[in-house]
Amino acid sequence: MSFLELTNVTKQFGRLSAIEDINLSVNQGEVLGIVGPNGSGKSTLINVMTSYYRPTSGSIYFKGRKISGLRPDKIAALGIARTFQSNILFEGATVLESVMVSAYLQYKTNNLQSFLRTKAYRDEYEKIVGKVLDLLKMLELFNDTFLPASGLSHGYQRMLGIAIALASGPKVLLLDEPTTGMNHEEAMFVVENIRKINETGVTVILIEHNMKVLLDLATRVAVLNFGIKIAEGKPKEVMNKREVIEAYLGTETI
Amino acid sequence: MMIKYIDWKVTIPRIVAAVPIAILVFIPVFSTSRDTLSIIILSGVWVIAAMGFAMILRTGQFSMGQAAFMAIGGYASAILTVKMGWSFWPSFFMAGVISGIIALIIGSVVLRVGNIYFSIITLSFGEIVRILAQNLEGITHGARGLIPPSPEPIVLGSFEINFDASVVPYYYFMILLVAITSLVFWQINRSRLGGTFFSLAANQILAEHQGIYLMKYRVIAFTVAGIFTGFAGAFYAHFLEIITPYMLGLWESIQIMIMSIVGGVSSLVAGPLVGAVLLKVLSVYLSRLPVYGIHALLFGGAVVLVLVFLPKGTGLIDLWKKFWRKVFNEPEWYEIPSIDE
Repeated sequence: MSFLELTNVTKQFGRLSAIEDINLSVNQGEVLGIVGPNGSGKSTLINVMTSYYRPTSGSIYFKGRKISGLRPDKIAALGIARTFQSNILFEGATVLESVMVSAYLQYKTNNLQSFLRTKAYRDEYEKIVGKVLDLLKMLELFNDTFLPASGLSHGYQRMLGIAIALASGPKVLLLDEPTTGMNHEEAMFVVENIRKINETGVTVILIEHNMKVLLDLATRVAVLNFGIKIAEGKPKEVMNKREVIEAYLGTETI
Repeated sequence: MMIKYIDWKVTIPRIVAAVPIAILVFIPVFSTSRDTLSIIILSGVWVIAAMGFAMILRTGQFSMGQAAFMAIGGYASAILTVKMGWSFWPSFFMAGVISGIIALIIGSVVLRVGNIYFSIITLSFGEIVRILAQNLEGITHGARGLIPPSPEPIVLGSFEINFDASVVPYYYFMILLVAITSLVFWQINRSRLGGTFFSLAANQILAEHQGIYLMKYRVIAFTVAGIFTGFAGAFYAHFLEIITPYMLGLWESIQIMIMSIVGGVSSLVAGPLVGAVLLKVLSVYLSRLPVYGIHALLFGGAVVLVLVFLPKGTGLIDLWKKFWRKVFNEPEWYEIPSIDE
């Protein structure tokens, strides 16, 4: 069994199947791109994988363990982190506070130790502050550390979303359109960082509309259309398949 | 080696805030008037309850039944002393424990629902507690209520603290109780728990996807609030030497809520403290005017003013922060740590 595996996953809203009978396996350390036209079920797929929704049928396995049906926090604790399609932030928090709160899973000390401020907790806290600041430096958010997160520009809020997801120290990172609304340079900056993150051993699943980003990053691509997986394989090959071009790219070729 | 330096932007506001607190502590030295001291003692009870409300609100839940936990604490201690013949100190302690256990049980069921539904359920819970107190004649004496005794004197060698002779021992007992509660809440707020509570209210979905188990932290907040509110209720019953079903109902729950909000729930300790003391002291003096229901008008007016002019969970305590920001000429977004940070 592979690292992360979806078997016959279906999610229905009423009688509409957002995704239907999806079989997908993700290998450790790869960057898997998921593409498809609007409404093809890409985000639903991520939402089902992180238990934002429960699948109507089918199951998801992570490292051989069934994770479909678990609570979102349990899934996060197993090492699967995600970003959201829109800029979801902690209201009223600064950049540093948002990421510190999100580093919840990195603590080994318990709540009582943190309440009593034992030495173990304070040491750990300092270590985590250091890690969080490194993360902010990497994602170029360091200058905004003490600014309210809601005051950041769109591009930086996207980066903050990635920082929040990374703060939990995940093994798998699910990115839901990380480059929406970004110009080319910003998008390339994101690409560079996703590559860096991937090189540290994090498996990345990437939903993306920007073909340049996708072809740069993905080692493998799965294509969805109307909730059904229509193709899977190497990016260049998949993009040249007839059904993909018809479904996703119209009649034009890349 | 760490170089310690004094950050005046933090220290000066703290020193200024310490002055009224010091005055409060030393009031009995200047005046032992039963009247004045009683008002402050009673506002202490509401300070603790308001802090509990603020803590629950921190996790994003709006509890409308906090007075019920005061009633549970009060009745627990009263029943233990009157019916079971326990002495005050163990039964006072048990009041907090019982209230905490009930909060834990109720919380782990009721906290599953959010927003307005939680408010409705806690509101009904408050009414259930009142009706039970009214109808369990055998245990609670129904509408006549129970008459819990005052605490036994504490004898320390030749020195005796007698709770019957004057209200001064009550006064210091209350100060101690408020101090312990503040300390616990302050410590919770600055530990990891504080950030976790905050994240649940700030964005529940995002927090859950970061691995925070919603129910666990909501139940912790609700239970801690329940424990201390229970202590406050037990103190209230023993100080007034009566507890009836009508003393702690919906109106009292609403008062607790208003005190918290007027003081400002942006801070867990200072806000509710300021709000409760200010509103309770004012309402006592106002209710002596020959105008019926004027203290209710005070609560209503205060909450409307605060909601209009200090929205988004800020309250009077944020005026204080704003003032010091002006003094030090800091930009708006720079948070001067409040007294409880």
